[in-house]
Amino acid sequence: MDDVEKAILISFDESGAIDSELKSQAVNFCQKIKENPSICSLCIEKLCFCKLVQVQFWCLQALQEVIRVKYGSMSLEEKNFIRKSIFSMACLECIDDKMCAVLESPAFIKNKLSQVLVTLIYFEYPLIWSSVFVDFLPHLSKGVVVIDMFSRILNALDDELVSMDYPRTPEEVAVAGRVKDAMRNQCVPQIVRAWYDIVSMYRNSDPEICATVLDCMRRYVSWIDIGLIVNDAFIPLLFELILVDGLSEQLRAAAAGCVLAVVSKRMDAQAKLSLLKNLQISRVFGLVSDDNDSELVSGIAALITGYAVEVLECSKRVNSEDAKVVSTELLDEVLPTVFYVMQNCEMDAAFSIVQFLSGYVATMKTLSPLQENKMLHISQILEVIRTQIRYDPMYRNNLDILDKIGVEEENRMLEFRKDLFVLLRNVGRVAPEVTRIFIRNSLANAITFSSDKNVEEVEAALSLLYALGESMSDEAMKVGNGLLSELVTNLLSTRFPCHSNRVVALVYLETIARYMKFIQENVQYIPLVLVAFLDERGIHHPNIYVSRRASYLFMRVVKLLKSKLVPFIETILQSLQDVVARFTSMSFASKEPIGSEDGAHIFEAIGLLIGMEDVPLEKQSDYLSSLLTPLCQQVEATLMNSKVLNPEESSVQIANIQQIIVAINAISKGFSVRLVTSSRPAIGHMFKQTLDVLLQILVVFPKVEPLRTKVLSFIHRMVDTLGASVFPYLPKAFEQLLAESEPKEMVGFLVLLNQLMCKFSTLVRDILEEVFPTIAGRVFSAIQRVADSSGPEANTEEIRELQELQKTLYTFLHVIATHDLSSVFLSPRSRDYLNSIMQLLLHTSCHHKDITTRKACVQIFVKLIKDWCASSSGEEKVPGFKSFIIETFATNCCLYSVLDKSFEFGDANTLVLFGEIVLAQKVMYEKFGDDFLVHFVSKGFPSAHCPPNLAEQYCQNLKGSSDMKALRSYYQSLIEHLRHQQNGSLVFR
Amino acid sequence: MALPNQQTVDYPSFKLVIVGDGGTGKTTFVKRHLTGEFEKKYEPTIGVEVHPLDFFTNCGKIRFYCWDTAGQEKFGGLRDGYYIHGQCAIIMFDVTARLTYKNVPTWHRDLCRVCENIPIVLCGNKVDVKNRQVKAKQVTFHRKKNLQYYEISAKSNYNFEKPFLYLARKLAGDPNLHFVESPALAPPEVHIDLAAQQQHEAELAAAASQPLPDDDDDAFE
Repeated sequence: MDDVEKAILISFDESGAIDSELKSQAVNFCQKIKENPSICSLCIEKLCFCKLVQVQFWCLQALQEVIRVKYGSMSLEEKNFIRKSIFSMACLECIDDKMCAVLESPAFIKNKLSQVLVTLIYFEYPLIWSSVFVDFLPHLSKGVVVIDMFSRILNALDDELVSMDYPRTPEEVAVAGRVKDAMRNQCVPQIVRAWYDIVSMYRNSDPEICATVLDCMRRYVSWIDIGLIVNDAFIPLLFELILVDGLSEQLRAAAAGCVLAVVSKRMDAQAKLSLLKNLQISRVFGLVSDDNDSELVSGIAALITGYAVEVLECSKRVNSEDAKVVSTELLDEVLPTVFYVMQNCEMDAAFSIVQFLSGYVATMKTLSPLQENKMLHISQILEVIRTQIRYDPMYRNNLDILDKIGVEEENRMLEFRKDLFVLLRNVGRVAPEVTRIFIRNSLANAITFSSDKNVEEVEAALSLLYALGESMSDEAMKVGNGLLSELVTNLLSTRFPCHSNRVVALVYLETIARYMKFIQENVQYIPLVLVAFLDERGIHHPNIYVSRRASYLFMRVVKLLKSKLVPFIETILQSLQDVVARFTSMSFASKEPIGSEDGAHIFEAIGLLIGMEDVPLEKQSDYLSSLLTPLCQQVEATLMNSKVLNPEESSVQIANIQQIIVAINAISKGFSVRLVTSSRPAIGHMFKQTLDVLLQILVVFPKVEPLRTKVLSFIHRMVDTLGASVFPYLPKAFEQLLAESEPKEMVGFLVLLNQLMCKFSTLVRDILEEVFPTIAGRVFSAIQRVADSSGPEANTEEIRELQELQKTLYTFLHVIATHDLSSVFLSPRSRDYLNSIMQLLLHTSCHHKDITTRKACVQIFVKLIKDWCASSSGEEKVPGFKSFIIETFATNCCLYSVLDKSFEFGDANTLVLFGEIVLAQKVMYEKFGDDFLVHFVSKGFPSAHCPPNLAEQYCQNLKGSSDMKALRSYYQSLIEHLRHQQNGSLVFR
Repeated sequence: MALPNQQTVDYPSFKLVIVGDGGTGKTTFVKRHLTGEFEKKYEPTIGVEVHPLDFFTNCGKIRFYCWDTAGQEKFGGLRDGYYIHGQCAIIMFDVTARLTYKNVPTWHRDLCRVCENIPIVLCGNKVDVKNRQVKAKQVTFHRKKNLQYYEISAKSNYNFEKPFLYLARKLAGDPNLHFVESPALAPPEVHIDLAAQQQHEAELAAAASQPLPDDDDDAFE
């Protein structure tokens, strides 16, 4: 063994026994050898003499690399030598009278050799080495070893160059075209002839090599003359191989693969149709029923489905009546087997059942009425859908308890069903009655015949019914013909033995909810609906996922039907008593793990029911107080005891209070502001008392974040429900809310103020004036920290919170300005902050990275100019404001910031901002007249190198134009002109 | 580059080749298994690194020698030479980078040329990242080539064992083989309850398709 061989062995070492230093040396050594000018002959010599596979592999790899990289600079002699040697190795010829034994090596060596040969073909065929294929063919008679090698070369050619399964560069595509053209002209017929001869000769003695050859041929069918395969010799041979019992499955499947390639070949529709007809495909139908798992059956299944796809495609594309008849006949012939395959065989994934069936159903849209055999196909398609959407019983338990596997299976099915339900919808359009009858029967059968697939049958049948409901328009559902009401009656009146199963219970409830529009018109069903939701099929289902979902769906049902539910309120409340009691009488020991939002839907439903004006006042206040009183008492009790609780008890209590607030919140949603404030103030009073109690929570637990959030959201609700009568409670609330000034809390508080301003505008001026200085003081010092931090460490949670605060602050200021509250900025206690606010707005309007924030700031300025500057030149309302606007805002924001190249006119948001900036100029001109214009044109424009004539033109446009759009496009063209002129050399600041 | 202090073991061991484009998370993935901390910093693998990973099955202990190959051609080494004698493989792509999926067929082809008929798992990594470019539905390659596909998240350990379990079953020829104890993994870098998230999304979708057109309130903004 020489050094090279040693080095190669060391660098390939898999045992781990070799020192890493040495290994790294060996790798470097091998890398060095590749630089050697005689590397090619060295490799070829090693290939001839060395039997170590690592060495052989390395040499072939090196050869390929060298050819690829250095082909252009190799000498003719060297190229000839390589070509001759590689070719000799591949077809078992001697090199210098010495037999080279590469073909005795393992498959991966032979594959590597094919790659080297294909690399040569890439550079040399057909111009330099035109005879490569023709020269190879005579060697095939040497036997299986060479035939195998030839197949490997052709496979490698397909892999490396031709097949479109891999990303290719344009150059590779061009080379592939050149190679294919040359082969078609020169040698494809001979190659096909060789394939035919080999298969005929070896079919009994060596089926394996025949399968190899056919697998190789399959790759070539798509681009060679189809007549070479579709003729009286090859097609009979292929079918014979498929049909003869006793041959190896692998060979039969390979033959089927070739027929599939023939069938799938792209060609003119008319020619394709006669090809398909002549194949007499029905010969193979019987094979699919043999044994479902075999390689042959899946090959045949793929062939049949592929054939069906092609026939369908032809039937759409042919024009003549005759051809249409033929395609219909072929389709009718193959479809029963296709349906069989879909339901019984493992499907080849390349074939999309849904796509095919959708295509087929689409062809029926124009046919009306459908013929009998089409109707038969429709019911078979429905059967396929039902089979496909059915869960496998092996997942029953996983789905029931919803473990990891269950979740996965459920998600998979959800995704899988989407397309199938689209198909169902299409079938339902073509044959509505058949579809409904099918669904009715599915449901009936699932109930009647209990089998061990019962759970899955029922679930699938209900899912079909659900999907049917999904596909119906509201109108169709309201009208509801005879069959529909039968379906709904069945649904509501049936008790399934498997109702305890989670998936069944869920789809049952979803389906009922799906048909609510029908129930709305057929009120006689309401009692049945209520029972289904209220008993152990729904809210009282033992499975928590079911009862949760039932609560939500029940709330939706109540929302839709509420006016029709008045007579049932008493009954409903009775049934929900135990659920409500879990909240109204929570004990210290309550350890039940319930999520904080649990119960919200139930209470919302109750609120919707008892909040109706149809409920007499006395009843209403009884109902409401029976809920609010115990809930509030619980809160009060906890607040009283808070001092003596240990941390653990305290956390339980805090969780309880959260749930109580969520519940009260949900109840209040059912009460309208009109009822609470004008028609029944007594009810309003009850909510005010509740608010009083809940505000107390902030006093006792000032630092408990979740409680704070919950109370805050309750205040939001009360602002909506109580209207202006909530004002007296605000000072107390604000005092507590402002006790904490962390950014997150501040954001929440600003959002509340925004709600108040949006709802009540100037009515909240006093309240706002009171808190504004405090807010301004805190927020400004807080967001200062955002500005100070930049760079990579800026991406912390703290900075994100501050950015959020900053964003909310801009909204806050914007809301103030746009709700006629700008006088708040001027109140004596706020005055100190005015300058900082203006500077902040100015900077933001020019530089903020978020364009919509910049827009908001410009809008604020526009509003302030309108509010604070009278058009007559009287006394200034805000001294200094006018000059600030003219001297600073106008130039910086309206001119310099838009001249900057980062101001992208191509961006939609930026264009809107630009519109606001132009509007600002218009408003400034209206308010300040020439004071503005003169300064803008004499100070601003020159620094932008604007020639006087353009400045003059600007003045004319601004003065004259009342059309904002025209003004905007004029100003844009001016800015673009100025930018162009400066050629990016603008220096302002 | 060598195998540090690696002894041969007296229980079954298999050579597992991990391939895929650079940056798809091959190294991160193997390093979740005790052998190393997850590294945020991206350091391209040079040539190959071999990690012996042990798993405990109901039939006893097994070891995968994971050959973590360089995804980037320019770092060379032996390239497909490392695949020689591979007994099973993982092809990795990054669901947040479409190109890495487009290159999967090429990796598969190169692998199969050297190792014919070995069990292969296709892994879509980084499913914890919100901004996916390759949706689960778009992943079809494995079905054409009869591979197993798993979505994984090396950062959060999501589905870490799945590929190994599949390969172990195939290699042992026992579809019921299972792991009896979880391998010790580096603690998850991100905690995303994918299951809960998917459940949540499914619920959202279901809720969104409700026929009841009433405005669902929660009016305050």
